[in-house]
Amino acid sequence: MPWRLVFKNITKHWLRSTLTVGSIVLAIFLLCLLRSLVVALDAGVRASAVDRLVVQSSVSLFVYLPESYEAKIAEVDGVRTVCRWNWFGGYYQEPSNFFAQFATDVDDFLTAYPEVEVIEGSVEDFRRERQACLVGADTASRFGFKVGDNVPLIGALFPRTDGQPWNFKVAGIYRSKKTNVDNSTLFFHTEYLEKALESGESGGPSGVGIFVVQLEPGADRVAVAGAIDEQFAGGPQRTQTNTEAEFQAQFVSMVGNVPLFVSSIGMGVMIAILLAALNTMLMAAREQTRDVGVLKALGFSDGSVFGLMITQSLILCGLGGAMGILLAKATEPVLIYLLSTTFPGYAVTGETLQLAVFVTLGIGVFAGITPAWRAKNLQVITALRATA
Amino acid sequence: MALVPLSYNVRSLWVRKSATFLTVLGIGATVAVLAGVLALRSGFQGLFRDNGRDDIAVFLRQGSTNEGDSAFTRERAEILTKTLDVFEQDASGKPLVSTETYLAVRMFKTDGGETNVPVRGVQPTTFAIFGDDVRVLEGRTFTLGADEVIVGDKIASRLRDGGLGDTIQFNTTPFRVVGVFHHAGAFSSEIWGDRDRLMEALERPVLNRVIGRIKPGVDIGWDDEDDKPKSGLALQLDADPQVPCKVMTERQYLMSQSAALGAVLLVLGQVLAIIMGIAAVFTATNTMLSALAARTREIGILLSLGFKPWAIFLSFLFESMLLGLFGGVVGCVLAYPIHGTETGTMNFNTFTEVAFAFRLTPELLAQAVGFSIVLGLLGGAWPAFRAASMEPTRTMRRE
Repeated sequence: MPWRLVFKNITKHWLRSTLTVGSIVLAIFLLCLLRSLVVALDAGVRASAVDRLVVQSSVSLFVYLPESYEAKIAEVDGVRTVCRWNWFGGYYQEPSNFFAQFATDVDDFLTAYPEVEVIEGSVEDFRRERQACLVGADTASRFGFKVGDNVPLIGALFPRTDGQPWNFKVAGIYRSKKTNVDNSTLFFHTEYLEKALESGESGGPSGVGIFVVQLEPGADRVAVAGAIDEQFAGGPQRTQTNTEAEFQAQFVSMVGNVPLFVSSIGMGVMIAILLAALNTMLMAAREQTRDVGVLKALGFSDGSVFGLMITQSLILCGLGGAMGILLAKATEPVLIYLLSTTFPGYAVTGETLQLAVFVTLGIGVFAGITPAWRAKNLQVITALRATA
Repeated sequence: MALVPLSYNVRSLWVRKSATFLTVLGIGATVAVLAGVLALRSGFQGLFRDNGRDDIAVFLRQGSTNEGDSAFTRERAEILTKTLDVFEQDASGKPLVSTETYLAVRMFKTDGGETNVPVRGVQPTTFAIFGDDVRVLEGRTFTLGADEVIVGDKIASRLRDGGLGDTIQFNTTPFRVVGVFHHAGAFSSEIWGDRDRLMEALERPVLNRVIGRIKPGVDIGWDDEDDKPKSGLALQLDADPQVPCKVMTERQYLMSQSAALGAVLLVLGQVLAIIMGIAAVFTATNTMLSALAARTREIGILLSLGFKPWAIFLSFLFESMLLGLFGGVVGCVLAYPIHGTETGTMNFNTFTEVAFAFRLTPELLAQAVGFSIVLGLLGGAWPAFRAASMEPTRTMRRE
């Protein structure tokens, strides 16, 4: 195969080649980006632990369960620890500075979530002090929180009667080893919230948002979940106990048609680049008609002419695809940071990259095959007679 | 002789059918994607904006951003409804003001997924306030004091147990669906029932919001741009010693609910438009460059006939603009079938699902076509410049 000619043909129209490669770079990048967003949606589901159950109200996310349930759940066979989680719903300075905060039973939380790794500060301080909190690494870097800092949070759901913000002391900064826990949450002691509610320092709903149950090794998840729900079937609040994966999946289900919507956009992008690549290859082929005639007259086989055309297409698309993939991978850390609150778990996974490679090759072949086929079947005489 | 005849460009596009066709389709795909995102946004925002009323005031707890986290005790709500002299009265002289309870309730969809449906406990005056905006289509409305509900027509068929005659269980109390009601806005994705019965069944200790029809001439005075009270009633209630609260018109409230998702969709649309737009400009440039290469001699002839370089420039630019225009039209045609398609998405403020339809308005279509023309012009600029700066003698010498 005339490799030098492949190279010459591509560089001869360098502007056209650059523009074609450029549009493929953008399209492949966009494809990776969109797919990574969809991946991020159910990242939490896939990383969920199998030994944890979540007990919530069967009526609504916004209904609280009675405190007394904790002891009753703990008595169920197969339950190792029970940990209370309460949504705090506060904000730092401005309502737009959103990140999640949970009041939780610190000791049980740390046992049940081995994936939460404290990278700065001390776990002991967090356990010991009532106003201490553990902050996710993303939130810490977003607002510049450091170990030892005081973080004032305005309680939108739990307004303090004196009108002042709540004070939390950063005891540690964590990073999660798995995507089921994001790196932007603030965890603090349930007791801190409880005491303030009891003494009337703060208003707000009482009760428990969810209970996270850690199972004994070897316990039957379905049986334990059934036993818990059975206990409260007659009220006062009916419960729904799910595995952590099912609990996370309900949020994904709520997002509804978004994955379908994003996939349709992805299809639109693919069609657009396919047409662009095909357009370029057809233009190139038309100009090279005479060259093909000359090659054939010199004795090059139909096969090598076919190869010549399709190789040009594959090189252009491959170059664009590779750069698009590199761009997607290079922007990954920036996008993880930017999307940490809206799409925690954004990741350009191996599967996404495989898909991108597959699409790139597919487009290269598809765009090259028509002109290559035409060139292969071209009569020498017709080809030589063609004008540029 | 000034301009190159426009028919020259049209014929030129026709001669190069395949390149023209592919470029137009490529631009079309870009425009269709953009139009789709904008239609989603317009459908979602329109649902809220166009169905909110300016003569209805919504009262929320201070610091809350939606009715889900707003709360009034019965006593505080009563102070508002009894002491404020701003409400319209019905024929019998009763003020048109009502208190509501609101909860996002977990329910199953017919396709098996879970969703959160807003359940609103209302009073008889609620219907009087909204008048004909809320009307029962099938069955009847619920009886006061009975365990009955009516379901919005947008979700009645999407919910398991949401149809007429079905039974919905709220915690431990079963409620019967006795009617299906219609509202042009977001209420059609809700379930309504008797306020007191729902408060008891769902164990809601507090009310969520107060709404009332305002007398003409009363200044509500909420500034939705800055999200703070500016004058009139809003300023007065902000500093009220007994029941400090937020008050805004229903339209302002609903618009604030759709702002977050609307902004996300707008950013998504812009990012897509920019990235895909650049790719489309590249394609258009390629096409025009190849048109240029094929017509080098023709340009030479035109120049020697006395056409000025700027006429050549305009001629090429016009041709490229035509490509963009056709692309825009194709894009609109491709995107048009989604107009009116029903879909559901989450209102992230209240974690509830809202059903709405994609909406392609004439303005949106005009925007899309305008965008595609810009793409064409940008793509054609460089090739047109190249064409205009050619020398007749050199171009004619080429075989």
